[in-house]
Amino acid sequence: MMLHYFLRRTFLIAFVFVALTVLAFSLSYLFPGEVLNNVSGLTSIDPEQQQALIQYYALDQSVIMQYLGYVHRILAGEWGLSFSSQQPVLAEIIAVFPATLELASYALILSFVLGIPLGLFAAVKADSFFGKLISGITLVAYSIPIFWWALLLIMLFSLTLGLLPTAGRINVLFDIPTTTGFMLPDIWLSDIPYKSEATQDALRHLLLPAIVLATYPTTVMIRFTRDSMLAVLEQSYIKTARAKGLSRAQVLYHHGLRNALLPVIRQIGLQFSTLITLAMITEVIFSWPGIGQWLLDSIYQRNYPAIQGGLLVVSCLVIVVNMLTEILHTLFNPLARKA
Amino acid sequence: MKKFRLYFEEHNRGPLTQLWQQFQRQHVAVFGLVIFVFFLLLTIFAPLLSPHSPYLQNSDLLLLPPSWSEQGLVQYPFGTDDLGRDLMSRLMKGATYTFGIALITVIGSLLMGLALGAMAGMSKGLKSSIFNHVLDLALTIPSLLLAIIIVAVLGPGLWNTTWAIMLALLPQFVHGIRNAIQDTLKQDYVAAYRLDGASNWQVLRYAVLPNIWEHITVMATMALSTAILDVAALGFLGLGAQAPTSEWGVMIADALDLIYLAPWAIALPGLLVFAAVLSVNLVGDGLRTAMTKRREN
Amino acid sequence: MIKALLSLMVPCGSVLILSACQPDIPETIQQGMVYCSEGSPESFNPQRVTSGTTIDAISQQLYDRLLDIDPASGELLPALATQWRLSDDGKTYWFTLRPDVQFHHTAFFSPSRTLNAKDVTFTFNRITQTDHPYHATGGAVYPYFQSVDWGSLVKAVVAENSNTVRFELSRPDSSFLSNLATDFAAILSAEYAEQLLQQNQPELLDQRPIGTGPFFFKEYKKNQFIRYYRHPEYWRGKVELTQLVFDLVPDNAKRMAKLLTHECDVVAYPRNAELKLIAERPDVEVQSQISMNVGFWAFNTQKPPFDNVLVRKALAYAINKDAILDAVYFGYADKAKTLLPPTSWAFYHDLPEQQYDPIKAQELLAQAGYPKGFSMDIWAMPVQRLYNPNALKMAELMQADLAKIGVKASIVSFEWNSFRRKLSEFEHDSVLIGWAADNADPDNFFRPLLSCSAAESGSNRANWCDPNFDNLINQALLTADIKQRRSFYLTAQLYLDEQMPLVSIAHSKRFQAKSVKITGVTINPYGGISMAAARKSL
Repeated sequence: MMLHYFLRRTFLIAFVFVALTVLAFSLSYLFPGEVLNNVSGLTSIDPEQQQALIQYYALDQSVIMQYLGYVHRILAGEWGLSFSSQQPVLAEIIAVFPATLELASYALILSFVLGIPLGLFAAVKADSFFGKLISGITLVAYSIPIFWWALLLIMLFSLTLGLLPTAGRINVLFDIPTTTGFMLPDIWLSDIPYKSEATQDALRHLLLPAIVLATYPTTVMIRFTRDSMLAVLEQSYIKTARAKGLSRAQVLYHHGLRNALLPVIRQIGLQFSTLITLAMITEVIFSWPGIGQWLLDSIYQRNYPAIQGGLLVVSCLVIVVNMLTEILHTLFNPLARKA
Repeated sequence: MKKFRLYFEEHNRGPLTQLWQQFQRQHVAVFGLVIFVFFLLLTIFAPLLSPHSPYLQNSDLLLLPPSWSEQGLVQYPFGTDDLGRDLMSRLMKGATYTFGIALITVIGSLLMGLALGAMAGMSKGLKSSIFNHVLDLALTIPSLLLAIIIVAVLGPGLWNTTWAIMLALLPQFVHGIRNAIQDTLKQDYVAAYRLDGASNWQVLRYAVLPNIWEHITVMATMALSTAILDVAALGFLGLGAQAPTSEWGVMIADALDLIYLAPWAIALPGLLVFAAVLSVNLVGDGLRTAMTKRREN
Repeated sequence: MIKALLSLMVPCGSVLILSACQPDIPETIQQGMVYCSEGSPESFNPQRVTSGTTIDAISQQLYDRLLDIDPASGELLPALATQWRLSDDGKTYWFTLRPDVQFHHTAFFSPSRTLNAKDVTFTFNRITQTDHPYHATGGAVYPYFQSVDWGSLVKAVVAENSNTVRFELSRPDSSFLSNLATDFAAILSAEYAEQLLQQNQPELLDQRPIGTGPFFFKEYKKNQFIRYYRHPEYWRGKVELTQLVFDLVPDNAKRMAKLLTHECDVVAYPRNAELKLIAERPDVEVQSQISMNVGFWAFNTQKPPFDNVLVRKALAYAINKDAILDAVYFGYADKAKTLLPPTSWAFYHDLPEQQYDPIKAQELLAQAGYPKGFSMDIWAMPVQRLYNPNALKMAELMQADLAKIGVKASIVSFEWNSFRRKLSEFEHDSVLIGWAADNADPDNFFRPLLSCSAAESGSNRANWCDPNFDNLINQALLTADIKQRRSFYLTAQLYLDEQMPLVSIAHSKRFQAKSVKITGVTINPYGGISMAAARKSL
């Protein structure tokens, strides 16, 4: 049963990758301009070079062969050159990607740490003042455009109060050598004498973007946890447990919480994909040097090889995280395997 | 048929009336509906109502503060921007862009979703299985990311954005409508109708659709709030409408330069986006609650 | 995460007094300065670029030139050359080099010797000798030198001995020394170039620079920052700043925000609208400097309908310059009559001013055969430059002006580097851009902007090649007599007014906003800024 499930998932993942690479591959043809330039990323091609390049990229052969060549190059790490910098796209992605992952994971953690307790509270005390307040705030936060929210926070905390920096990951004067690309681990791995100052500075830079980015997923988590808990509390087994004489707290913990939190695991995946999108906007506003800003810059510059590579990475990541959480969810919840 | 319905309404109240009664009881939702209608009217009548042309530059009145400030003028309630254009007229015209385009994308997407969802919902077998998997995949990608991907291919611009958001909203409509149809198909009354000799089309038209429209309305309000946010976000990022179009997101991006001199030029368009999304969400939540309550009765 | 956050804030008290909390930062960071610049550099070799952004970031910080210009008087001063001498026929120059000038010592290069004549010959031979191993590296592009026709002017650069260099010219050129003093004529290291050739990585010469300047290169993160450290053996004496970081912030509002939150010590190009705001704050101040520059609107004169003089004149009449000066420059600029700013000695004071006359414009358009107008693109630079603080806004104003005469204009903009590349390939109809002088010579306005050689090298934004005009500006160089030169330049200005390959719009002052803690950052009226004498008080 389990094996069958995993086989199906593996097959699906394989199918997804094929679908995504086909999509990315076809972009070279969908984008304006010469296919050869789009594929190679070279902005100017000499006539002498042209023939060799056409052969290299198999442009004179059938579409299937070209596609196979493309997949081969993707796997070999040869993603073409960026139009604007004439540097390999993959290297640029590797340089910017950790920043996005770092920001998104902190925001994700923040949304869980805040969202689940508040959601549970709102469900258990649904009719109290605080319960209603939480629901009200959630609705407001759910409707707020993220870029406007970010600007309001900057105007208040940075410009008016002067408490927090407006941009970047760390004060640029701190010379932190890049090892992992994640700022906090990099600081801890480095041998600079001012580690704690650097950490503190990095955290101050992180605070506003993380709050902005966490806002939407937190409200979703609150709403989701609340609805899920409310649904569980309606179940007959809760009533049975209460009838058996268990205390309210015992019932909530042993029967309510566990069953309500199970679907929350599923949310990790769904929230992650939302986060990556919202991270793009957050990065632009806070000049966070991540893949979102990089991808948007590429779109402005009509830098097709970069757009192609960036989209492939982002969509792969979103879908893989989704599948992983789904598998996790299934492991914890045997009922879901049938689906 | 008409007579028949009238008869019911008099004695037993039609589902629509019942829904409205439940909706009416939620004051917040009604408040949301009022704002929603306000935006709707603004969207349609903005060109007639706005005091000035949203694109008319007046080099004598640059960066005029709102009229509640001492230097403000009554003729320019919200002041002017750095090119001397009346901010209020631009904000009003902005409703046509942000709210109107969001509305168009939702309607377009809904129609396409109905067609595709009906096909998916009525079909079975391998084809449907593959279709469902592709759909599930598309669903995991958030609409804004999908819209950005589509804009990346089509290139920035207002109409490309409209198409992009329409396509980006499509998967959730197809998915929702397909599931709703399939749930309804399992009902006994559908089986009974089929036994009467109804064709697929007749089943869809007379048994399924009347039973899922409520569900579709709720989906549409959710999609509308997403669409407004997406239009504004794409505009803000410079991928959607382009300056000097007075789309609210574009207006915020434009006013970024004036963050110290004219903070209201950032605050006001953002507030409108927020109010529009909030009103739609309030109406959506209200509808959902009303539906649940009506079913319970 | 939250715990870590809290534990790190507690030592400094509550979250609310974060700003008051001054951590114990080592001297290398406290004595570091952050300059917030408006764009990314295209290269780290000034020979390869013309953009002021790049020159500001690299030229004065990393390199020295043979000669410098006195910012006050515009006279030439000795720099790497201690003295120079000219032959009687005006065709040969000798330069004596300064002894004991150290090159940068970095992670990727350790110099074994001080500056000598080989470095100078290498620097200039690279530009002129087509068979030079470095000539074609990265594409044989030397825009400034190509625009002043350096290739045909300089016949040979010879090392007479280790500290004397001889330049042989094909004709006398009164602007030659001024050109050597520009930020583009930076002296490179021949030894480093040799090492790179052996390592088979010649392209790094323009990407990982070695010079003799006050700072050496540490790292560059594209679109993020450039990090320099102090050159401990700088020949002019001790540099006070330990570290210099160029934070790359293209967005104007963000740059200003960073100044006010003290993330930047100095910001380039504060917007004119905000100057008053800065003046009201005690912690920041504005520096201003009269600058030789011009913002203009250039037509691609090879593309119809802009090949027609009548159309160009009509468009010039259609533009309301006064409104532009108010809305874009906020009054901090002079209205331009011609390319040259009024402070230049060759400025044509009696030249009639271009009038704003939409009716005349329509008549001219009708004469030219476009009574109903046409559609065109206005390319607006995406960054703020000295000569044009907000090209997009200017374009929007012009769009409205042009609509009045039936010309439908659409605004086009790209990221700065792509924008410049597409411009030099002449993909535009018309462009809002400008020029800031590199030296005090009037030739520096005409030749790089409108000569035929500039059209070839791509820096002539009007793509305009007119033999009459070229003849005028060439004649002006053959004589050293100021009066004669002046009369040639006056005729040239009159001719430009008739031909209208571009509409000059404004001459702006240059501004820079900085924290009051910083002193000694100098803006040069003829080019890039210099941070060599900057210091930061605590």
